[in-house]
Amino acid sequence: MLITLRAGGLLREKLKPDLDAYSRRVEAEAGRTLAEILTAIGLDPSLVAFAVKDGKMQRLSYVPSDGDVITLQPPVSGG
Amino acid sequence: MATSSSSSGTNSASRNGLAGTTLRIDLSTGAIRRMPTDQDLYRRWHGGRGITSKILYDEVPRDADPLGPQNLLIMNAGIMTGCLIPAGAKVEFGGISPLTNGVGDSNMGGHLGPALKHAGYDMVIFEGIAPKPVFLYIDNDTVELRDASAYWGVGSLDSEKRFKHELGEDFEIATIGPAGEHGVAFSCITHDFGRQAGRTGQGAVMGSKKLKAIAVRGNRSIRVHDVDALKQQVVGIVKRTQTHPNMEPWQKYGTAFFIKWSNDNGVMPTYNFQTTHFEHVDGIDGDKLVEKCLITHKACFGCWMNCGKYTRAVVPGKAPVHLEGPEYETGSLCGSNLGMRDIHDVAYVNWMLDNAGMDSMSGGGVLAFAMECFQRGLITEAELEGHTLKWGSVDDAEHFIDMMVHRRGIGDWFAGGTRRAAERIGRGSEKFAMQVKGQEMSGYDGRWAPGMLLSYMTADIGAHHNRSWTITVDMAEGRERVEGRAKIVVYLQHIRPLFDTWCICRLFWGELDITPEEIVESLNHITGWGIDLREALRTSEMIWNLNRCHYLERNRGNGRSFDYPPARSWEDKIPSGPGQGKGLSLEQIEQMLDEYYDARGWDRKGNPSRALLEDLGLGEVADNLARLGLLGEPLPGGIPETRGEKYKPKAF
Repeated sequence: MLITLRAGGLLREKLKPDLDAYSRRVEAEAGRTLAEILTAIGLDPSLVAFAVKDGKMQRLSYVPSDGDVITLQPPVSGG
Repeated sequence: MATSSSSSGTNSASRNGLAGTTLRIDLSTGAIRRMPTDQDLYRRWHGGRGITSKILYDEVPRDADPLGPQNLLIMNAGIMTGCLIPAGAKVEFGGISPLTNGVGDSNMGGHLGPALKHAGYDMVIFEGIAPKPVFLYIDNDTVELRDASAYWGVGSLDSEKRFKHELGEDFEIATIGPAGEHGVAFSCITHDFGRQAGRTGQGAVMGSKKLKAIAVRGNRSIRVHDVDALKQQVVGIVKRTQTHPNMEPWQKYGTAFFIKWSNDNGVMPTYNFQTTHFEHVDGIDGDKLVEKCLITHKACFGCWMNCGKYTRAVVPGKAPVHLEGPEYETGSLCGSNLGMRDIHDVAYVNWMLDNAGMDSMSGGGVLAFAMECFQRGLITEAELEGHTLKWGSVDDAEHFIDMMVHRRGIGDWFAGGTRRAAERIGRGSEKFAMQVKGQEMSGYDGRWAPGMLLSYMTADIGAHHNRSWTITVDMAEGRERVEGRAKIVVYLQHIRPLFDTWCICRLFWGELDITPEEIVESLNHITGWGIDLREALRTSEMIWNLNRCHYLERNRGNGRSFDYPPARSWEDKIPSGPGQGKGLSLEQIEQMLDEYYDARGWDRKGNPSRALLEDLGLGEVADNLARLGLLGEPLPGGIPETRGEKYKPKAF
């Protein structure tokens, strides 16, 4: 299946976008968690604070479906 | 009533982002002086924390009591504030800190800084002590000190509401609470019902001057060097950031969502930094805040990110309260660090500290320290006026906050912060007074994040994450390795405080990929200075070294002696969670300090050398240090040509 990952901030360089400045198309095995998919593409999941899909927060245990567009949110310091 | 008004009617003719006028107010006499803003001072020190540091160094006697008449309180809107650029909303407050006895500065967003500039003023310098409570009233040309007796004793948030009711909704208000009035050393200044100049106790400085509030209304424009170029650049940034992947999550969740991440990665301060993993984290994470407490999102002037969360906390047996937050720092320091299991409880503690006028970061740290003292039997129910002080108890926290605010019994000890309380309590409590230079640590445990611990140890204002934040660097480079961390910390300590110098929000850099070079470009469009990032970083380094020297001059000792964290940082391994068994040794901490001083061009005693200070244009400061025997030794190989090292990939 194909999913699209998006990331900015400190995660952008690690994601290695290829679709546009922030997005990368990733082929992933169905049934894998987001954390497993990130590990498979060489992105350390511990550097991802949480993910957002369709405007809703998802943890890294989320299992993506074909066609998902998922935004990865990096950790930052508090205010 | 002291009054000053001018009929000038317009802001500075200079097209450089400055409003043109500085106010100097002697609260002892009520005299209000208007002076042309010193353009050369701004050019050299860039405003904000830079100018604050310079004025404090030049004017405040080294033996002046931070809460006495000789200390100054400086309110400084930065050169970029109110000038159309993204998040140009900050205003800086500075004075000698009652918490650290060094230079203290802290800033807040909201709308106050832009209002000050739009009223025609770049800076307000308060000196002396008013004979009775007053507030500063600014309405464009009208500047008055007005009686604030009726507001004295009223909470920060409650005062702001009353001032707005009395003066009008379009006034921007900064207030202090009863904590500031009573000299609680970690008091803050509050604005916009939840934006705080929180750190270093500037609320106590304001309270010592009997200055209850500042109310500002202004409706003028600010002249900039090249408005067309600025407009073109800003429109480009707006368009670009609209589609940035981080925009929507930030608008929705703010920083509170990092609670769980921090917990999962073993840096979450828990039970006064006894451990780094909270078993009840699911009850206090950001999703609970949004789900259970959120009323609406809030933004500062010139910002479309809306990261502020206006919320409602409901705790059984207490009236519902409204507040902004808790964001990450307060969420951790008043959440897991106090053993609070429910987001409403965390928010309620946040509100109590806000309305009392205490910094909710230091406030959380002080409460946690007191709770651990109670856990260990170092303070008793008799000393707590018959109350307990148990982890997770809102009632206990409420009673102890009241003891501190009103300086009753042992509440008086803790009102001076954890360091002073530990000095009074003794019996080994110094080991777990989680502060450096008197300021309580931010919401990250550094035992498994060595760069973060070094950041706390060496921050010019005491332990504070906004000077340098390295958690992700620590994760990427090895969390048990200390080598090489110092140079990155030095670089971050130069670039991050630049945002406090220019008084703009750093989140557009960190989160939305606006580059520092782009921000310097904005600065040049506003000022016409034509500088580059390298010069800006050098200015920041100059400010850093001035503050270091000022600290040494006031506290009369070699720098290294002030840079150690509490012994828990090396004596106790993390006892639970993902970081179980992890920790640093004292040897590793010494090694980090050696590397840090080398990277800065200081000697191993932690003192800046003449060669470095002269290189930064601070020759007179070197003379002052030499007279006190505190000047650093010449370095065998000379000072490094470049101090600090940019971390790649991106870190902030």
